[in-house]
Amino acid sequence: MAEIVFGSNTMQLLIALILVSTFMILGSTRLYSCVRAFGIQSFLLACVAGVVAYSTGKDEIYIIAILTLLFKSIVIPYFLLYLIREIKVKREIDLYVKISPSLIIGGVLVVISYYLIRSINVISELSSFALSASMSLVSIGLFIMISRKKAIMQMLGILIMENGLFLGAISLTNGMPLLVELGIFFDVLIAVLIMGILIFRINKTFESVDTSMLKNLIG
Amino acid sequence: MIEYLLLTPIITGILCYFTKSRKQVETISLLGSVITLILGLSLVLDVYRNGIIVTWQNALFADAFSAYIVLIVSIISFVSSIYSIGYMGYEINHNVIDLKRLKMYYVLFHFFVFTMLLVGVTNNLGLWVAIEMTTLVSALLIIFYSNKASVEAAWKYVIISTVGITFALFGTILTYYAAVKVLGETGDALNWTSLIAVAGQFDPMLMKLAFIFILIGYGTKAGLAPMHTWLPDAYSESPTPVGALLSGTLVNCAMYGIIRFYSIATKSTGPEFTSNLLIIFGLMSLGIAVPFIILQEDYKRLLAYSSVEHMGIVALGIGFGGVYGIFGAILHMFNHSMTKSLMFFSAGNVLLKHGTKEINKVSGIVKTMPMTGAILLIGGLAITGSPPFGIFISEFTILSAGFLQGHIIASVLFLLFIIMIFAGFFYNLSKMTFGNPKPGVTPGEVSKWTLSAMMILVVFVIVLGVYIPHDFIEMINKVVKVVM
Repeated sequence: MAEIVFGSNTMQLLIALILVSTFMILGSTRLYSCVRAFGIQSFLLACVAGVVAYSTGKDEIYIIAILTLLFKSIVIPYFLLYLIREIKVKREIDLYVKISPSLIIGGVLVVISYYLIRSINVISELSSFALSASMSLVSIGLFIMISRKKAIMQMLGILIMENGLFLGAISLTNGMPLLVELGIFFDVLIAVLIMGILIFRINKTFESVDTSMLKNLIG
Repeated sequence: MIEYLLLTPIITGILCYFTKSRKQVETISLLGSVITLILGLSLVLDVYRNGIIVTWQNALFADAFSAYIVLIVSIISFVSSIYSIGYMGYEINHNVIDLKRLKMYYVLFHFFVFTMLLVGVTNNLGLWVAIEMTTLVSALLIIFYSNKASVEAAWKYVIISTVGITFALFGTILTYYAAVKVLGETGDALNWTSLIAVAGQFDPMLMKLAFIFILIGYGTKAGLAPMHTWLPDAYSESPTPVGALLSGTLVNCAMYGIIRFYSIATKSTGPEFTSNLLIIFGLMSLGIAVPFIILQEDYKRLLAYSSVEHMGIVALGIGFGGVYGIFGAILHMFNHSMTKSLMFFSAGNVLLKHGTKEINKVSGIVKTMPMTGAILLIGGLAITGSPPFGIFISEFTILSAGFLQGHIIASVLFLLFIIMIFAGFFYNLSKMTFGNPKPGVTPGEVSKWTLSAMMILVVFVIVLGVYIPHDFIEMINKVVKVVM
């Protein structure tokens, strides 16, 4: 089944757009636009799940698609925007790696992911396309976490990684069993909530959400 | 049975929230953990007599290995909750925390116990969900004191563990994919029981990749070097009873995840690949622990690095393989839990009395707190692997497995590292225990609650070094059969 679904042009377009939205996050210096791009990415992901659900006719995947739409593309971005407003953080993000090298590194990561996935034995050419996109998302998410100073960007990095894995799971196996998917969803939500609490605390104790301040515990 | 075991800590946690006074919350917490312990022990007995239990639409299950984890979690959480009464009581008496915070502490404590029990009894790769939940709940416990250091520790902990765990999820997805190729798309394709049966037919290339991701992912939570960087911060900044839970049980839960995947991956890739990876990570953990233990200035961090060392030893034991290696590793998990929690408890007493975590600002504990001092010395001897304590036996078993299986270089390095760690650890410990007491420290123990929790653990530490009951050996043998 997976081959037919991922062969379709719509699917390829969606996956390409997901990559574009990731680069939008990578190329932006404003927190708001990063969060918005993340919302778009999650919306596209929900579309991918929707297409898979439609072509396999499985109710379970519909549930997952709707949950993704609801939580990842609406609730979580709103929560992040709320967080940014509440802690009155400076809207610009501070970077360890500047924008243009960031974009180049992002491109290199995509190429590496593509070759890495090509080397393992996946059902077909086309689902390996989705898988390499998923791998790129994971590595770019990781890169965003280490190259941005704001705590919120690190949170966003984790969410991008999680989106990447979601894409991987749905492209390889049409998603995991429902119970596990729901569990993962629940965990992501709680994780966002708890990181939000932590960011509030960081802001309160350090009067900043710049994670470069967090370097007292060593040795 | 399993359902009741899981429900008890949740209900206890909720009840703790609705209590009105310190007395009430302490009573309910203690009662809850006693019931958890009883249910845990009876589950262990049930599995030991009747074999695998599966309930709740196949989502929950318990085999010998799960039961073993449940055993460790329920014992340590029981003694920890006894210790909490003394420790948190002392802090509330000295106005470090108020009643509201105390209630919150017990609520989170029992939720944390719930998530760890869940790790043990989840029937499938959804184990991931449970392990991620442990991270989230324990982060709130680490941030408990809300000072700069604890906020930093909690943030690092959440970020590093979540990234690690995300890798583990990728490994899980790959394993599921390998299973789906063989079994077809059923809900069962994630269950241990069905996975183990067909693991031999999985695509080896895929499983190699999956195992690397799993090892890095769960290895982060288990504190294997070089992914251990969150661990010393989290252990030293959290309240002491939580530190004991983190080091005594949480690392074991993560190790449990690795070992489960090890059994699946080994069937498909052959033992060479998985063993070598585990040996490399194990030796790395031991090696990194050496300088940090010798040069350590903070005694809680000293214990944390010792946890890195011991998880390295467990990984080595599994890596060496063979019946002896795995037997040693499984036994080591139990011994380490008991001994390390004991050490954390004594360190907690020292911290309450001296108000500092610096090794150089503490001395003469044997004179001011004779019981704590004596237990600290016993625990110190035990944790560094001297006879006649439990850890000596398990380390010796692992070492002999190493030589037996022909991993000569790894075994020699292992021996060398633990000798250096022994010297470093004892050098620091003797600075604290002997000498003249610091001025301003009033003699006397903290409370009888903390002491009684420690006495229970001392029994385990000493008895398992001299004599391992026959039933316990039988049980570990069953676990070894599950793993191999």
